[in-house]
Amino acid sequence: MGSSQSMSEEVRELVGKTGFSSDQIEQLHRRFKQLSGNQPTIRKENFNNIPDLELNPIRSKIIRAFFDNRNLRKAPSGLADEINFEDFLTIMSYFRPIETNVGEEQLEHCRKEKLRFLFHMYDSDSDGRITLEEYRNVVEELLSGNPHIEKESARSIADGAMMEAASVCVGQMQPDQVYEGITFDDFLKIWQGIDIETKMHVRFLNMETIALCH
Amino acid sequence: MEGAELAVQVLGTWLALVLSLILLPSAFGVSLGISETYIKILVKTLEWATLRIQKESPKESVLKMSASSGIIQRDESPMEKGMSGHRGRDFELSDVFYFFKKGFEAIVEDEVTQRFSSEELVSWNLLTRTNINFQYISLRLTMVWVLGVIVRYCFLLPLRITLAFFGISLLVIGTTAVGQLPNSSIKNWLSELVHLTCCRICVRSLSGTIHYHNKQYRPQKGGICVANHTSPIDVLILTTDGCYAMVGQVHGGLMGVIQRAMVKACPHVWFERSEMKDRHLVTERLREHIADKKKLPILIFPEGTCINNTSVMMFKKGSFEIGGTIYPVAIKYNPQFGDAFWNSSKYSMVSYLLRVMTSWAIVCDVWYLPPMTREANEDAVQFANRVKSAIAVQGGLTELPWDGGLKRAKVKDTFKKEQQKNYSKMIVGNGSINTESD
Repeated sequence: MGSSQSMSEEVRELVGKTGFSSDQIEQLHRRFKQLSGNQPTIRKENFNNIPDLELNPIRSKIIRAFFDNRNLRKAPSGLADEINFEDFLTIMSYFRPIETNVGEEQLEHCRKEKLRFLFHMYDSDSDGRITLEEYRNVVEELLSGNPHIEKESARSIADGAMMEAASVCVGQMQPDQVYEGITFDDFLKIWQGIDIETKMHVRFLNMETIALCH
Repeated sequence: MEGAELAVQVLGTWLALVLSLILLPSAFGVSLGISETYIKILVKTLEWATLRIQKESPKESVLKMSASSGIIQRDESPMEKGMSGHRGRDFELSDVFYFFKKGFEAIVEDEVTQRFSSEELVSWNLLTRTNINFQYISLRLTMVWVLGVIVRYCFLLPLRITLAFFGISLLVIGTTAVGQLPNSSIKNWLSELVHLTCCRICVRSLSGTIHYHNKQYRPQKGGICVANHTSPIDVLILTTDGCYAMVGQVHGGLMGVIQRAMVKACPHVWFERSEMKDRHLVTERLREHIADKKKLPILIFPEGTCINNTSVMMFKKGSFEIGGTIYPVAIKYNPQFGDAFWNSSKYSMVSYLLRVMTSWAIVCDVWYLPPMTREANEDAVQFANRVKSAIAVQGGLTELPWDGGLKRAKVKDTFKKEQQKNYSKMIVGNGSINTESD
C-alpha cells in the first residue's frame, strides 16, 4: 500500500520521456522487478531466466542491445554493466508503435530511430559501419542451430547479401574497389520505401476498466 | 492453584468441543454445516468489501485485468508469414526483425515464469499478503480487516493446529494398529476407514470446502489417477473422497514417520531416492501394482512440480507408459479464499502450511473425468497431451507445452535447436544453397 502521490511524479516524468501510458509503465515496472529479482538494476544474467528467450537464435544480440550505450543515449560506444528502470523503458520505447496521428517530421524521426536501433545491433564495434565480418556474424548466429549448415554456406549467404547492399548504395563498383561497409545513411537508403512499421513494434494493450462481476 | 485449574478446565472444554463438533462427525462422514455457514458469511463479507473499494475510489475502480491476460498483444503468426517469404529464398536484413520482435515480446512478458508465482487477484480478499495493488480505502474496511486478522490468527489458527495435530497422530496410530492385523478384507476396510477419517480431519483443519463433480467416474482399483499439481494439499483433497495408493520418495522426519505408518496398513509405493533415478525400475514396480486388481488406484502428478493453478504444464510421459486405465482428475482452487499454491523456492513447507492455515479457507472444485486408455496409434507423449487437454478444458486452465522443470532448470538445448533449425531450413531449403552468381 504505497503512497500514490510521489509515484505519480516519477511516473509523469517517465510518461513524458518515453511516451508510454502510466498503466503501461506500472505493468512494465512490475515486469522489471520480476526480472531483476526486486533489485533496482538489471544485469545481463537476469535475462537468463526467460525460457522463451532461450529459443531465440540472436538472443545475445538482443540482450546486448539493452546494455548498448548508444541505445541508452549515454555514450557513442561501449556497454553498460547494469541498467535501471528508466533505461529499461528507454530501450522498450524503441518498440512502441509509431503514432499515426503525428506529423510527417515526427514520423520520419521515429522511423529513423528504429532503424538506428537495428543498425546498432549489426554494428557491434560501434565504428559506424557494418562490415562484411559483422554481417557474417549476424547470419551465422541466425543459422547457428542447424547442424546441416556449414560455416561456408553461412558466409556465402552473407557475402551475397552484402553484394546486393553494395549495389544499392554505391551502384556499379570498379573491379578493384573495396566496399568498406554499410554506413547509417546507406542503411537508410536500403530501407527507403519499405514499411517497417509492423515489423518493428510490439503492441501494448490498453488497460481498460472492467466492471467487476463477482 | 486456581490459575492452573482454570487453564486445565478451559483446555478440557475446548478439547471436548473440538471432539464432539468436529472429530466425531468426521469419523462418520457427516457434516454439521458449520463450514458451509462460515463460507457463506465469508462470501458476503468479501462482496461487501469489494463494493466498498469500488465506491470509495471510482477512479481506482480500474480493477485491472489480471496479469495472466497479458500486457502485450503477441504476434502469433508463424515464422514463415513473419518473414514474408517462401522456402529457399535468400536472406534479408529484415529477417532479423522477426527474431528481435519475438525476443522483445519474451522479455516484456513470458508465458512460463509467471506460472511459478501466485495468481494475482482481481479484487482484494482482505489478506495483507495479496495486497499489492490496493491502497488505503476507508476506516470501515480497515476495521473489518483488523477483525479478520484477529479471527484468523487468534481463533482459527489454534483450532486448525489442534485439528491437524489430531489428524496426523490418529493417522499414524490408526495405521500402525491396523497394520498389526493379518491381511484380510476387514483389514482393508479398517484401513480405508482410518485413512478417510484422518484425511477429513486434516481437511477440516484447513477449513477446506471441496465440491466433487461427476463422482461416477471416480478412479477404480487397478487404475492410475492423474491430476494437475498445485500443492501438497492436492493429496489431501483427493484422498478425502476415496483411497489411493501413493507414489513418492521416502522422506525423513515427520513425513517419513507418516509414510512408514501408512504403508503398514495398505500398500503404497515408496521409492528410495536412488531408485527414483532408474526409470525402468519405477515403471516396473508401478506396473506390478496395477496388475493386482485388488490394490488401490495409484495417484500420480505428471507435471512433476507445483504450478500456480492457472495453467497445466507438460505432462511427463513416464506415467503414461505404464499402461492400464488412466482416470484424469482436474482440481481448481478458488484463489479468493486462500492461495493454495506452494512456491517452493520462496517458502519452506512449514511457512507454507502456516500461510494456508491463516487464510480464510481452501475452496476448490474437483472434477472426475471419464477414464482414458492409450489408443493403438498413439505414443506415450501424444496420450499424455490428450489427457492434459482434457484436464485443462475441464478445469478452465490454460495449456502450456512447457516443462514444469523450468522452475529450476534452463531450457533444454534440444528444444532450442528446433527453432533455429526451422529458420535455417527456410533459408537454405534443406541443404541446397542458392549461391549468387558473380
